[in-house]
Amino acid sequence: MTKKANKKRKVVVDLTRGDFIKLGIAAIGSVVAAPLLTTGPLSPFGQLKQQQLEGETTGGHGAQTGDYHWGMVISLDQCIGCEYCMRACTATNDVRAEDPWNVVIKETTTAGQTFYLSRPCLHCQNAPCVEVCPVKATYHREDGLVVMDYDRCIGCRYCQVACPYDARQFNWEDRTDENPYVPAWGDPEVERRPRGVIEKCTFCVQRIDAGLAKGLTPGVDREATPACVNICPVGARTFGNLKDPNSNVSQLIESNPTLRLREDLGTEASVYYIPPKEGL
Amino acid sequence: MTTSTLPRKPFQLPFSPIFLVWLGFLAVLILIGVYSAITVFIKGLVITNLTDSVPWGLWITVDLSSIALGAGAFTLSAIVYIFGIKRLQPIIRLAVLVGFAGYTSAMLMLLVDIGRPDRFWHPWVFWNVHSVLWEVTMCITVYLMILVTEFAPVIVETKLFDRWPALRKFGHFLHKLTPFLAVLGLLISLLHQSSLGATYGVLKSRPFWFKPSMPIMFVLSAIAAGPSVTVAVAYVVEWITGKRTVPHDVLQLVARFSGVGLLAYGYIKFWDMAAVTYYGRTPGVSSAFALLQQQTPFSFSFWVGEVLLGILVPAILFLVPRFSRNPAAAVLGGLSAMIGILIHRWNVTVGGLFVPLAYSPGTAFQLPAGSYFPAPVEWGVAILVIGYALTVLTLGVRFLPLFEHTEH
Repeated sequence: MTKKANKKRKVVVDLTRGDFIKLGIAAIGSVVAAPLLTTGPLSPFGQLKQQQLEGETTGGHGAQTGDYHWGMVISLDQCIGCEYCMRACTATNDVRAEDPWNVVIKETTTAGQTFYLSRPCLHCQNAPCVEVCPVKATYHREDGLVVMDYDRCIGCRYCQVACPYDARQFNWEDRTDENPYVPAWGDPEVERRPRGVIEKCTFCVQRIDAGLAKGLTPGVDREATPACVNICPVGARTFGNLKDPNSNVSQLIESNPTLRLREDLGTEASVYYIPPKEGL
Repeated sequence: MTTSTLPRKPFQLPFSPIFLVWLGFLAVLILIGVYSAITVFIKGLVITNLTDSVPWGLWITVDLSSIALGAGAFTLSAIVYIFGIKRLQPIIRLAVLVGFAGYTSAMLMLLVDIGRPDRFWHPWVFWNVHSVLWEVTMCITVYLMILVTEFAPVIVETKLFDRWPALRKFGHFLHKLTPFLAVLGLLISLLHQSSLGATYGVLKSRPFWFKPSMPIMFVLSAIAAGPSVTVAVAYVVEWITGKRTVPHDVLQLVARFSGVGLLAYGYIKFWDMAAVTYYGRTPGVSSAFALLQQQTPFSFSFWVGEVLLGILVPAILFLVPRFSRNPAAAVLGGLSAMIGILIHRWNVTVGGLFVPLAYSPGTAFQLPAGSYFPAPVEWGVAILVIGYALTVLTLGVRFLPLFEHTEH
């Protein structure tokens, strides 16, 4: 480097007026082009997007109106740890038996008393998974359900890392396993998920949507109620509309002490637990 | 080779036997990697050692590290074009090449890591503006375009473009935009380099991650270590070709900048440790650290890997006068800082996932702690990315006019 170059350390910006006009046009052009080329009609991915959107199932008949907020009440006091809910869920949703959506855990209170904690997806109203998904493949429905769009998921697994409740499973391989709970515990009502996407409990959304279309009430009519709730031999699980003050779930929450898991995280879960009578 | 009409001749490196051996070595790396990647595409991610409890591992570590190590491009561009330190201009082209290698490596890595590579385009079309990861994806895409635009003038200078004077003219026009691209690049880079830390920092349910210092440590370490990688590359190229690349006073200045940057990063790291220890010590955080210290070499890798190798050794090599004039010390420092970055990103990713979630209201149940060590196929794909980055650097140095460059 010469001494002259060393002395002159200012960066010269040698743009002419013509350059500025070109620049301005380019800037405006790119602002217009960006949305057109990504989400708009000129997108090279437009056709793919269209195909993908066509593959999407439409939400059923009033299911997505704001009249409902589906929730569940699980009585830790009544649960006997039989794992029937896990089995019925695994059969109905054709889940891999090793990675159930609905888990049952043997637990102990501070007093040393045994109780059983069962955990579906909690369908949080401030769901960390929904917040972090880069493509909105997991999203809130109007009725409070947190659902997955298996056709949109890219398999980055950020939602799995973000979920505080360990409620999400990844499809690491193509499914060829035999479901040990079919047909004894129910028949699959939904397709197996493809390799490379995340899956989780849906509160049996297929039953809710189909049931509402027939004029049934989820939580009351068995046909429209999640499999885990129907099968419970001791009636520890109750399902219904949290927005309706007269629904069975609202009544239970009204008349019992309840807690939600990790309330400190502010996730606003839709699953309420009635603690054991002896306390936790 | 004698008919060149270019005023600036491209850097010439004969196809010596050693160069051919080097190309052969790169080909081996890429073959191993392509074989591993194809195996993953055919059999699925099940052949990795990733699990539902540790779904991110070596690949995410490589991905984060290569973006951090590519940070020299935006840092040095900003220093030259925004802060007006024109003296450093001779290093810019090499820094942009290193940045390009880093960012494209990260994209290559992600393509293998996601479960559905066929849907790589979804973030561009289905926006979730609340997602940190979406923001990072968009920023990286835009920044890669900035890098290409910054680099286009260099590419059109090659002899290949003698035939297309119009393209060359356009390239020179783009060159005038460099100061503006530097501003835009700085903004976008500060955003996504820190957001990569925020990817972890925003997750409330993970006691080891959830803290506001996470993005700051990510962006600072990238700004500090990134430029030193470019310095190391410049010296190594000089050794191999036997020709001057970038003036040594420039390289020494950049290395000093890196050294000061690393000390700033070290300061924030200690501040973070103190803050977590004295103010952020919730039961969850305490048990997370206890678990990591008991069951993993966390303390060792933190003190030796992140602090000693990642900060102290390179800072001494870059700042103490008797070392800083020595090219070998600069290369060693660059390597050491690089290893520090890799270990930090690994510790954050795998360490955070190792700590199990706690959601039960009872007292007895605890999910098992995660366990993870990369499978051979994961190493294979990581080798692909390294081989790819080295190939980009080799071809760039061999065919592009990176060095004998004077500003008009």
